[in-house]
Amino acid sequence: MEPNPGSLADATHVWHDATSGDVTDDWMPSSEHDRSVAHDLREIVRDELWPYRGLIYEFVRRDIRVRYKQSVLGFAWAVLTPTLIVLAGVLVRYAMAYVGGQTLTLEDLAGIAVKAVPWSFFAGALGFATTSLVSQANLVTKIYFPREVLPLSSTLAQTFDSGIAGLTLLIAFGVLGVHYGMATLWAPALVACTFLLTAGLALLVSCANLFFRDVKYLVQVALTFGIFFTPVFFEPQMFGSVGARIMMLNPLAPLMEGIRLSVVFNHNLLDDMLVVGRTGAVLVWSPWYLAYSAAWAVLMFVAGLVLFHRAEPKFAEYV
Amino acid sequence: MVPALASRLLGRRGTDTLEAREFWAVEDVSFSVRPGEAVGIIGANGAGKSTILKLLTRILRPTQGRCGIRGRVGALIEIAAGFHQDLTGAENIFLQGCIMGMTRRQIAARFDDIVAFSELADFIDTPVKRYSSGMNARLGFSIAAHMSPDVLVVDEVLAVGDWRFQKKAFDRIGEMVGRGLPVVIVSHQLERIASLCTECLLLDRGRIVMRGLPDDCISEYVTKGIQTQQHAKEDLPFRVNALDVEPRGALQSGQWITVRLRGEVTAPAGPHHRLGLRVRALQSSQIVSVVDLTAQEPRLLEPGAFEITVELQLNTGKGYFSIETPMWNTQERRELGQGPHALTRVDVAAFSGVTNLHPRVHVVTHPPLKDRELRSA
Repeated sequence: MEPNPGSLADATHVWHDATSGDVTDDWMPSSEHDRSVAHDLREIVRDELWPYRGLIYEFVRRDIRVRYKQSVLGFAWAVLTPTLIVLAGVLVRYAMAYVGGQTLTLEDLAGIAVKAVPWSFFAGALGFATTSLVSQANLVTKIYFPREVLPLSSTLAQTFDSGIAGLTLLIAFGVLGVHYGMATLWAPALVACTFLLTAGLALLVSCANLFFRDVKYLVQVALTFGIFFTPVFFEPQMFGSVGARIMMLNPLAPLMEGIRLSVVFNHNLLDDMLVVGRTGAVLVWSPWYLAYSAAWAVLMFVAGLVLFHRAEPKFAEYV
Repeated sequence: MVPALASRLLGRRGTDTLEAREFWAVEDVSFSVRPGEAVGIIGANGAGKSTILKLLTRILRPTQGRCGIRGRVGALIEIAAGFHQDLTGAENIFLQGCIMGMTRRQIAARFDDIVAFSELADFIDTPVKRYSSGMNARLGFSIAAHMSPDVLVVDEVLAVGDWRFQKKAFDRIGEMVGRGLPVVIVSHQLERIASLCTECLLLDRGRIVMRGLPDDCISEYVTKGIQTQQHAKEDLPFRVNALDVEPRGALQSGQWITVRLRGEVTAPAGPHHRLGLRVRALQSSQIVSVVDLTAQEPRLLEPGAFEITVELQLNTGKGYFSIETPMWNTQERRELGQGPHALTRVDVAAFSGVTNLHPRVHVVTHPPLKDRELRSA
């Protein structure tokens, strides 16, 4: 048994070392160059996500099964949070309508309901993902698998839950007489953007919580009050022209509004939409809003993957 | 931590210099294991053995240098870590198997074998939170054992479980070694290392102190380990300078060995001082026998140099035995200290147990009852 593995030359071997992931056969210390984002992304998808897709599936199954085992509500949990958000929203809007001297229409209620589902997905996914690494610290320190699996499977499990809620909602809408149209087909694209944004944040937040344990409290606070800074209960145009634009800076806002406009109002998201209010016309929707959110979603997802991947070697030491 | 994290997140190379209060958990360790080789890693607690295993299984990344495994790793390190308490044993087989790297199809194909090996067929559909720790260990090991890995890495995983399970598990590992699988084992059960491994590494505080045959490393480990405790607080009446045991290597039970001591009697030796030769089983710390050398040879109490030869018949069972040189004071009834130690290993025993009682068995048979009845009738 000699200390020099120089003869282990052939075929695929997995060397993992201190700095770059380059596979080289010489015994010199690996190169000093900094790693590029593109290189890291390739490594993540090729070496970690794709080979472990079976494990992601298995973890999602586990998370879903565990959420509903030994529970009294069972699958009703999936619709519980969105229902509560809708009820809260109805309360808020009723008060606003009363004060403003208007009545609540079916479109208003449908608008709230259709935004409640993506928000509860976002909040639920982040809530569970934050502690996904720390609560399974025994896995992180004892067995190897790419750690991205944990927050990603947590997010996917929440997707399943919200999927049930969403389906229930669509059926209820059909029954209640909301008319679907061609523009409703925008909804899947918006849902995909929401998923990417949430998954990216889930990766970042779970990684941050591993190193700084108060992140989970920060996330809880942010989610509790975030619902007021995101147009779930109300619409951006209620804040006037300038207020609407500021509100739309929140990357979730265009996604929420886009879902509402396309599903309830059958509005083609490639067209602008103006609403005449008390102070004049307010730009409610512009296709640039969609581009803005989509860019945020992709950026957040890539940033989440890359930063998580770079911090990952230190997980076992700090968890 | 924040500056180091930040530079890492930006993709820069990590720093190699140590800060105050940091130390190298593993330093300057290089080895390779090829098919057909089984490496045992031994050392005191905190020597870095588990760290090496974690480096091999990609849980930790080296700060400097590189390490890797070609092929699929079967890690018998924490075999029940992936178990979720609310899921049944069957569901956990799939979960843990997936975590370890098998596909669902592979697990399904081996499911019956896994359940059979674990002997938990009656409980496979109960939630794992109702399992005892031994059942957990059995299920976990069974899953890992059916992984058909390319490399096996074993930590002190078999410390849990009853004797029968431990034997079964080690037999299975031995079978895999026999098939030529490269294996790295960390264990405190030195007899197991000796019987399974082709090479051995002795670690102390992160560095390799010795590498070679298991017997040599184990001898070094045991004798050094004991000697570090032995700083005499007072002057001992005897000083043993050399202790040799012939023959070396693995022995057969019942074989005669010769122990040679060389030393001198120092001035403070009195009639109540005693020098002995003690044979102790290593794993259980049981004393097999003590020979009072001064009682056998009173000339040992006179000042001067001596050379003693003791012949012993090792009628013991298999295992490691340390040969020690204690000194004690019969007046004060206490042990004063010890001289050097030596280690022997008994590999072959025609019996099982602590010692061979040389049974001689005579059986007297009676004629069958039917014949006697017929005769008396």
